[in-house]
Amino acid sequence: MTQRFLSHADLGALVAELVAAHTRVIAPVRAKDDARQLDYLPIRALADAALGVALPRRSLKEFFLPPTEVLLSYRQTKEGVEIKEVPTQAQPQVILCASPCDAAALEVVDKVMNWEYRDELWFGRREATTIVSLLCSIMDSSCFCSAIGLGPDSSRGSDVLLTPVEGGYRAQVITPKGEALLKDYGSAELSAAAEAGAEAAQLAARARVANNAPAIPAEFSAWLAENFDHPIWKTMALRCNGCGACAGVCPTCHCFDIVDEHESSEQGVRRRNWDSCQMAKFTLHASGHNPRQSQSERFRQRIQHKFSVYPRRFDEILCTGCGRCSRICPGGMNLPEILGELMALAKSEPEKSEGSGQ
Amino acid sequence: MKELQELAAKLLTDGAVQVVIGYEEGPRGVRPAFITDPAQAGRLVFDARCVQNLATYLNPRRKHIVQLGKSAVVVKGCDARAIAGLIRERQIARESVVVIAVRCGGVLQRPAENAALNSETISVRCAGCDVREPKLYDYLLGELPPEPPVNAARSEQIAKLEKMTPAERRNFWNEEFSRCIRCYACREACPMCFCVQCMADKAEPQWIDPSPTLESNRAWQMMRVLHQAGRCVDCLECERACPENISLGLFSRYIADAVEKRFEYKACDDPAVAPPLGVFSTEDGEEFIR
Repeated sequence: MTQRFLSHADLGALVAELVAAHTRVIAPVRAKDDARQLDYLPIRALADAALGVALPRRSLKEFFLPPTEVLLSYRQTKEGVEIKEVPTQAQPQVILCASPCDAAALEVVDKVMNWEYRDELWFGRREATTIVSLLCSIMDSSCFCSAIGLGPDSSRGSDVLLTPVEGGYRAQVITPKGEALLKDYGSAELSAAAEAGAEAAQLAARARVANNAPAIPAEFSAWLAENFDHPIWKTMALRCNGCGACAGVCPTCHCFDIVDEHESSEQGVRRRNWDSCQMAKFTLHASGHNPRQSQSERFRQRIQHKFSVYPRRFDEILCTGCGRCSRICPGGMNLPEILGELMALAKSEPEKSEGSGQ
Repeated sequence: MKELQELAAKLLTDGAVQVVIGYEEGPRGVRPAFITDPAQAGRLVFDARCVQNLATYLNPRRKHIVQLGKSAVVVKGCDARAIAGLIRERQIARESVVVIAVRCGGVLQRPAENAALNSETISVRCAGCDVREPKLYDYLLGELPPEPPVNAARSEQIAKLEKMTPAERRNFWNEEFSRCIRCYACREACPMCFCVQCMADKAEPQWIDPSPTLESNRAWQMMRVLHQAGRCVDCLECERACPENISLGLFSRYIADAVEKRFEYKACDDPAVAPPLGVFSTEDGEEFIR
């Protein structure tokens, strides 16, 4: 890892050059429908971006796994069925001033996207994207990245991590992609004052989120698996109304549905669309049977998949502690609070529960 | 507040109900509370942050609530309209729920806000409210607070929409619906969406393409709002749940106004009033149905 100093002007020049070269640059900007909220959107100049204001409402997920995308088109001809797959190569894009939790989420989801099948559309976009993150200074009471083992200064998933210092940024270059992006910008000289300033900013940021939730212990995933039938699940999610808004805004929820849509009797497209385990239809069998009958079971699935199934399979928690689910939830479900309750239970009842069954 | 807490404790102690659904202080403002132990009744609160329509939890498809037993539910007048709707449409029986109504002086837009009520912070749904003192209740609590301020944002928006040409109006709604990701949070949060199988979830026949394209989003949102015509209670839970902040409440209100004009009907908290699209009348304005 190397370090550079980037002035504000350097960063502005980088954006200008990328935009001139028709590279899509995405950054947090003020939402069109609500000036208090931010969205990650394409920018034309650095001045379009709103930095250090708030965590954007949605994560970076949609730039890698769009809410809907065509996988292939098909056409019935006299000779048979003609199938055209979509190209997996993506246009280059740069994500500027991403939140470190959102950058980390992509690396977490990479694991499932390269599990039994390599998702070429996902990785096509991953490879074409350079991610420049910015030290997070915008956390609120729903943030708990440090409990997951990340932090406001985590460089995970980033090609470059910026830390604000007097007059500009300390740029930590994490990957060759980051190196290539910044090689003509700023200087390799980082003053001792800038170095000290960056370290102080890191410590201050970590302190602001450290007490929001206790760290999740390694044995938590096994406890969850053993306590699948614990009676707590029946009462834990009473206020959850099953709307699934949490999954939409979650940076790591990646489930999708594949459907064929006919444009006429001869042709159509195959699409994949975001889906959510909070919906009854998600597990509805063709027979009419649904193994997850009630919202209690669907909410349990959300927790089990993120904090037990995924960790046991990929050695990763499927959550970054970004807090978006708690902010959006119309029922007032709060993930740090729920994890706190479950971890307390794991401590007081470490053994496998007898359970009440389902 | 004390009156509410004591009543909840008494209902639970007497075994009149097994759960009291009310509001409590949560990590992000006020949120729904499910009190099953009379000793916990002290958690209940009621103030201008009590935005949520708790009648949504009475919806019979919420099996995880049904299993708790008989409920008492804390409602504002606007929420009582949803209970009346569920009774009117034979989803619940009147005697299956104990209605604890609270006289209301208006609510904020979000339960996590903690601002004084004024013409900008108050919910648009409180403008012109005629149910501040509900008529559907088993217990009616509190004093009637003074007339709340009026947030005219929505009526101004409706006036603006009405002045638009059809093409402009189409563009406005296209812009809104293009953002829809078809997560169906609006439907799931709605107290009046109780279909066992939503038309949007039907695969054979597939009435509406499931992919979030503008065309199918428009079809979905139009279908939803038309199924809500004369049924929507204007609680705005759909809009609050929408992760894309689509003006769903504006859309529903637009249709509700049309129903009021054509059928002289407004969603009310009297379950005995017949639904406008569910009655036969020889006086009907349409010839084909007489």
